[in-house]
Amino acid sequence: MNLNNRKRELVKEFSPMLEKTSLVSKIWIGFLIAIILVGLYAFILQVIKGHEVTGMRDNVVWGVYIINFIFFVCISYSGAFISGILHFLKTPLKNSVSRIIEIITVLSIVIGPVFILLCIGRLDRLHYLFLYPRIQSPITWDIIAIITDLFGCFIYLYLTFIPDLAILRDNDNLKVPNWRKKLYKFLAMNYQDTPTQRERLHKITKTMSTMVIALAIVAYTVLAWIFSLTLQPGWNSTIFAPYFIIAGLYSGVGVIIIAMYLIRKYFKLEKYLVQSHFTWAGLVLLVIALLYAYFTFSEYFSKWFSHKIHDTDLLNTLFTRYFWQFIFANYIGVIVPLVILFVKKFRTIKAITFASVVAVLGLWLNRYLIVVPTLETPYLPIQDTRPEYIYYSATWVEWALSLTGVAAFFLFFLLIIKFVPIIPISGIIDNERDELEKDENLNKNLTE
Amino acid sequence: MKSNLYKYTFITSIIIAFLFSNNSTAQENDISNYKMMFKFNSFKQSDNSRLLEVSFIAKNKKDRKDKVPVYDAEIKFFNILNDEEVLLGTAKTSKEGIAKVIVPESQKYLTDADGNINLTARFEATEALDEEEDEIIIKNLNLVLNLAEIDSVKTVSVKAFTIDSLGVEVPLEEADINFYIESMLSKMKIEEGSISDGEYEFELNKEIPGDANGNITVIAMIEDNDDFGNITQKKTVNWGTFNKITVEESNTLWSEAAPIWMYVVLTILLVGVWANFLYTIINLIKIKKEGQDEDEELEEVELELKIDK
Repeated sequence: MNLNNRKRELVKEFSPMLEKTSLVSKIWIGFLIAIILVGLYAFILQVIKGHEVTGMRDNVVWGVYIINFIFFVCISYSGAFISGILHFLKTPLKNSVSRIIEIITVLSIVIGPVFILLCIGRLDRLHYLFLYPRIQSPITWDIIAIITDLFGCFIYLYLTFIPDLAILRDNDNLKVPNWRKKLYKFLAMNYQDTPTQRERLHKITKTMSTMVIALAIVAYTVLAWIFSLTLQPGWNSTIFAPYFIIAGLYSGVGVIIIAMYLIRKYFKLEKYLVQSHFTWAGLVLLVIALLYAYFTFSEYFSKWFSHKIHDTDLLNTLFTRYFWQFIFANYIGVIVPLVILFVKKFRTIKAITFASVVAVLGLWLNRYLIVVPTLETPYLPIQDTRPEYIYYSATWVEWALSLTGVAAFFLFFLLIIKFVPIIPISGIIDNERDELEKDENLNKNLTE
Repeated sequence: MKSNLYKYTFITSIIIAFLFSNNSTAQENDISNYKMMFKFNSFKQSDNSRLLEVSFIAKNKKDRKDKVPVYDAEIKFFNILNDEEVLLGTAKTSKEGIAKVIVPESQKYLTDADGNINLTARFEATEALDEEEDEIIIKNLNLVLNLAEIDSVKTVSVKAFTIDSLGVEVPLEEADINFYIESMLSKMKIEEGSISDGEYEFELNKEIPGDANGNITVIAMIEDNDDFGNITQKKTVNWGTFNKITVEESNTLWSEAAPIWMYVVLTILLVGVWANFLYTIINLIKIKKEGQDEDEELEEVELELKIDK
């Protein structure tokens, strides 16, 4: 088999995704842009009028923005973690999902930190964080971790793009505008897929994948420390860092499964994203769900058992004011995925995806219950004030900006997969090259 | 497609319902379910004025926890002797169901032959609520607090006495008394004792920080006494040990500069990671250069082929 011909075949197979934008895609993109425009209006309103237009007040200073921040950043960290691990696995299955995970990783780490900026009341003083950093503060550690992780993820994503960009550059049949061809040429960095170049690229990608795993663990931990190093009831917990890692992986794997399902359905990639992908991802989700359930139980059980007055107050708040949210986040959000994923008969693609949707929504609510009720039950309760100053309720501005984050995520995802194939062509070629080499060696041994 | 749409809409509505649900319970607001609690108290304050306070609360007969303060009810305070009523003041109850009046030290009270003062608080009946009245009969007790260092010993003493009709001081025979130190939000008890023959004395051995200037305020209180009600007296003295902190704060994370180990760890981590990024970029440049060389070689071969032809 001639590999160059095979490359051409594969480019031809994926070219509709890269060359054309269907009517559905156009409508979808238009819809996403419309949401972003509403978000932009909400943002301008927030800048002009201040945090008055949000539900955040002196008592509850963090709301859905910080929850979205944790949610997106955790998805990114878990994406980096899984992507790094996948790189070390020698299975052809990984090729179909690796790019999806890498794109999710980078987009989440770009969108997540924007939410933290929305939390800041005085954006004009943002540069003080860099001019006068307090090294002892977990917030400073988090800023450093996020910036480092962002760079790391970008470099890692770019490394995985290079061979495909070179294939697209060398293919004259691809009908894309000239600027895109020039961009492919520029970004492919003269990569010719020579053995030396291939070896060098594999070496640095391997090092970077180790690095992103380590970075993800460090950044995850630092994010958890923002909460657990305070003395607030519900946050000051020694298991918060590993709990965050497990919870992040739970939501991350869930989002990956949902993305796999949507991409498979939307781009008709049933040939590449097969049942085994969902089954394996579902089993990973099952193991993580068990760990997550264990950590959640351990966290709340110790609070309930120790019976410290402020922890008891917090638990009372969770079981009264936030009863249904608590039940959904910590019971339905865990038990439903566990049941679906545990029973072999239920492990269909649709059921696994449904389990992931429940898990992701449960996780988002879990974040909400970590942040808001704690702030509503401080050590020294606020006195003689209006209920809206004591209790938090998100406003339309916050929901609009939250949806804008989700819309931006989808929009950028669509734009990226219009630029490079969602299934790495170079990965398919590498697998086929390995198979060829194996066959040649076998023939050689037989003839000798 | 329709069933899918229905399914997703259904799931979304459940989630939205979870997000916005409020747990509210219906309450029985019928007044017949409530019993009125009308409680009257008198507090003689440190400036010798008298605080008269009424607490007016409706209490659910079935649910003891359900208490509703009676708001904006007009309470009249009287000093009564036989048929003679002297109005001391009127006040309306607050949102907490509390009505307060302060009677100045200069107020001359009507007293009986034994020196008893009859104080009465009255709420006059309205269409919804019946009349409520409560009285207390007390004697006017004087409390004198003295804070002095006797032979370098911080000594707190009180004298308690009443004044008879001839203006003679009559020492209080016996009553329980408590001593407190005033703090920002509440008060801390430092001594419990019993006055006998009109006097009580104790040594203050405790190390109390006091305020920024080292001042502490000692409060002497006779509380809920059947004959005298509540009497408070307080005095401030410079006995605090505020500047005598010997234990230094050892948590370096709260200090102005971070501990050195933190700089070292952070630097090692950052240098390690960013050096790796740099190493990756250098290798990328090498890949680019190798590709360039490859291109040039190809061009030379093509050129040679052309020349040969």
